[in-house]
Amino acid sequence: MHISFLIHNAYGIGGTIRTTYNLANTLAEQHDVEIVSVHRHRDAPVFTPSARVRVRHLVDLRKGTAGYEGDSAAHRRPARHFPSAEGRFDQYSELTDHRLADHLASTEADVVIGTRPGLNVHLARQTRRGPLRIGQEHLTLDSHSRALRAQLRAVYPRLDALTTTTEADAAAYRGRMRLPGVRIQAVPNPVPEPGVAPADGSGKWVVAAGRLAPVKRYDLLVRAFDQVRRERPDWRLRIYGGGAQKDRLRTLIDELGLYNHVFLMGPAHPIDPEWAKGSVAAVTSSLESFGMTIVEAMRCGLPVVSTNCPHGPGEIIDNGVDGRLVPVGDVRAISRGLLELINDDPLRERMSHAALADSRRFDPSRIAERYESLFHDLTAAGRSGTRLGRMRGSLHRARGTLLGGAYAAHDAGRTALNRRLPR
Amino acid sequence: MTVALPHADHTDREPTVPPTADCVADSAGGLTFDVREPGGHRPEVPSHLLLRLRSGDDEVRLPLTPVAEGRLRAVLPSSVGLPEGRWDSFVEHGDRTPRRLMPGVNDLRSLVDRAPSGARGHVAVRIPYATKHGNLTVRAWHRAPHAEAGELTVCGHELTVRGRVYGIALGPAAHAEARSRREPSLVHHGELDTRGPEFVWTIDYRALAEQDGPWDLWLRPAGSTGPSVRLARLLDDVAEKKQIFSYPASRLGRPEGSAALLEAGPYYTGDNDLAIRVQAVD
Repeated sequence: MHISFLIHNAYGIGGTIRTTYNLANTLAEQHDVEIVSVHRHRDAPVFTPSARVRVRHLVDLRKGTAGYEGDSAAHRRPARHFPSAEGRFDQYSELTDHRLADHLASTEADVVIGTRPGLNVHLARQTRRGPLRIGQEHLTLDSHSRALRAQLRAVYPRLDALTTTTEADAAAYRGRMRLPGVRIQAVPNPVPEPGVAPADGSGKWVVAAGRLAPVKRYDLLVRAFDQVRRERPDWRLRIYGGGAQKDRLRTLIDELGLYNHVFLMGPAHPIDPEWAKGSVAAVTSSLESFGMTIVEAMRCGLPVVSTNCPHGPGEIIDNGVDGRLVPVGDVRAISRGLLELINDDPLRERMSHAALADSRRFDPSRIAERYESLFHDLTAAGRSGTRLGRMRGSLHRARGTLLGGAYAAHDAGRTALNRRLPR
Repeated sequence: MTVALPHADHTDREPTVPPTADCVADSAGGLTFDVREPGGHRPEVPSHLLLRLRSGDDEVRLPLTPVAEGRLRAVLPSSVGLPEGRWDSFVEHGDRTPRRLMPGVNDLRSLVDRAPSGARGHVAVRIPYATKHGNLTVRAWHRAPHAEAGELTVCGHELTVRGRVYGIALGPAAHAEARSRREPSLVHHGELDTRGPEFVWTIDYRALAEQDGPWDLWLRPAGSTGPSVRLARLLDDVAEKKQIFSYPASRLGRPEGSAALLEAGPYYTGDNDLAIRVQAVD
């Protein structure tokens, strides 16, 4: 199967980019996979694609190179197809409109996957007839403006499927967006097995990692740690990440006299060896669209004390089994949660083992399987007569009875389809 | 996922993948390097991991031997002396030009709360880190003897430093010295509370107000006739302490004869030595 991802910029660093590489690399073990990056601002991607994944760009923004297109007239004119209410609208243009339209009209992929709302809109409107059109929502419906939701609602019905990272967000899409015929399915982000041995639980360190942004509420974590320190001065806290809140947090740490206990470590890449130095992880966000750091910490054997914020933590953590969920915004509850694990070595050890075991469901191989079965279901759905599938279904029935097994059935459908549709 | 490897845009050209090394530290101060270099190894010539001191001509060559999955391994035992400084790392095959190594995964967990015995009379520290250009360099210290700074407590115009010495005993004449970097003749003597190898030193910033700028902190474990031992923080996994171990400054008011409001506070130097900076407040 030929699978083509469409991404804003495959050469940068960020959660969506990392997730896309993790998924693409794994799917490439069984499939023909490419990542098409709308923009390219540097020669090499930060994350390593597998040798089997092809990465290419549509618009070259490498300054000082012969191919630089950032100054072209078409790139200065605003986009007309990219939705105006999308956060990245300013980075799209008449040039990206054209390149995206050409790419999607001529793609030879069997499945095209968009990785942000604006690109899902292009994909829904401009993909030639034939390929499965799958839009991914890496944030949440709530995070989009009313204007963007209206623009998406008008176009998303042309998708075959929309994936969210949580069941909660899938429910929001089902309940509020009315997308007839579109399969809405939660598929969590993949998180690979870390490159280091799991934590052994002996280090008296709590670890947190994320952007130092207001939504992460690290101020609550620092205040909670002030209470932890009173009871357990032998434990300390490391917060990894950079961001605009750094000076405020520094001031708070100094005001509370926590400079021997709480450390702002700066960004760390890769982060896994840093989790492995700790024994408990902490997340105090007011919002986590998925909660990638929770899974990362669990994969390193750390039980996570997390606020039960929308949307991800409650779907990742089995409360009291592999971690602890505490109310949002409650300093005392956070410190109680941390102290519960700090003061009870056997409990912490049990939760650590459970965290390792339970987080395996996020392994890229498992997540890729979920995508594969989604592709299969969507193709098979054609037999029972959904929109795009009707045509696929009738073609499929001719040979389907001769074949058994999901892949065989799926491939037959695709083959028949490709034969029928002009390229 | 491995970061910062330039990769492969298969649609245009195939850039060469630079060699990377995963480093594992042991609590004794030894380092193991696992080098990955696609297509780089030629069994017919000897391969070495080359460490080159940035400020000088010193070089250390460690044999690289094949291990599983096409990896080459070199070991830097704690017994191999590595003078203090920044050691840039390279992989070298025979007489070919050495190639700079990039960091892979550094597993430094055994360094985090390091408590060496000090029985050898010295402290050897090697912390691998990524330079600002994204290359792998090893920061090394070799101190014999050594005075490790631990918790610092700021209270009013006083700083209390808790620490312990390695490779030397704290004798009855043991004391501490703050030395002005700008005016070397200015030395402030401080008393130590000692208990075995551990010490507590409380410094009154007002005693340093006579000279602004940095004051370096030293111990004299055997009194004025014995060695001077620089106070430093070395025994963990953090290569550059300055940004991470940060402490509040204290206002000293306007000392007699001073036109400016002064403040003072502790900080770690680029070499992770402990110092106090006295400066005017804007």
